[in-house]
Amino acid sequence: MALIRGRDRGTGAAIFTASMADIVFLLIVFFVLTYKVEVDKTQMNLPETWIRKKIPEKAAVISIAPPDRGSTIRVSTGEEMALPVSTIEEVITFASTEVAKNPNREFILKADKDAPYGRVDEVLDALKQSKVKYIFLLSEQLTAAEL
Amino acid sequence: MKIKKKEIASEIFTGSMADISFLLIIYFMITSAFSATRGLDFALPEETDTPEIKQEDAIEVHVMPGGAIEVDKKSIPVDGLLPYVLEKLQQNPDKPVILRTDPDATYGDMISIFDLLRRANEEWTDDLGNPMYKDVKGEPLTEIKTISIPTQREIENIWNLLGMG
Repeated sequence: MALIRGRDRGTGAAIFTASMADIVFLLIVFFVLTYKVEVDKTQMNLPETWIRKKIPEKAAVISIAPPDRGSTIRVSTGEEMALPVSTIEEVITFASTEVAKNPNREFILKADKDAPYGRVDEVLDALKQSKVKYIFLLSEQLTAAEL
Repeated sequence: MKIKKKEIASEIFTGSMADISFLLIIYFMITSAFSATRGLDFALPEETDTPEIKQEDAIEVHVMPGGAIEVDKKSIPVDGLLPYVLEKLQQNPDKPVILRTDPDATYGDMISIFDLLRRANEEWTDDLGNPMYKDVKGEPLTEIKTISIPTQREIENIWNLLGMG
């Protein structure tokens, strides 16, 4: 027996979008609060460590690029984009200027894990000559499985 | 004659709000960087109060290219580093550790050994933070007090002072 179908009520399959604006604003608020300008955008593989301390914000940054990018050294005050330097003397000048402004100025060393230690040694020596007191060696988290 | 005014509804046009919001989200998603914000802290000694470290009084760790290590001029496995240091510190808890790295080794090689030495505190205490080892005087031994990372220039200066340069 054929069923007699009633008239369609005409309920369209609409997606409920009333809360979309709330969700979008929540996302915007999240991004605005967590937004941080990365002063050095050099792509690198950071070394992994088990001990990791929070690095201070606005610390000066010295980065050493991977060997395939020439192990280029870049410096930044932490507020401006990092600029490449060609000699180690320029690192000493930069660090000395920052220390002269604030003797307790913190420095972040962001170096690729494959960077030759000789290059890192030059930078550490430059920081020591500039009377820098605190250095943070930027790293990724070492997981328990990797120990 | 009285002219009837047309009433105009005062509404803010919100039709494009969703577009603007999505544009903002896309902008923040693309430009925000989830950068690393943690790392190993390292305090450099001030020259005025640096105690002179004699090489024979210290534990010398030399990181070789490839990540192998020599401790006090003897090649040992990386796993054996902390037990060796523990044994030495039990005799003299003030013994500093000098971490030297070959210029041809990588930064990652050096950092892994530095991290291992800094981990002594976790290895030598139990889950509640109580010390598991004691020195010869019966004092708890929980950490390596001094880890020194001399630069190549400093090492050369010492050699020159000793007339070995």
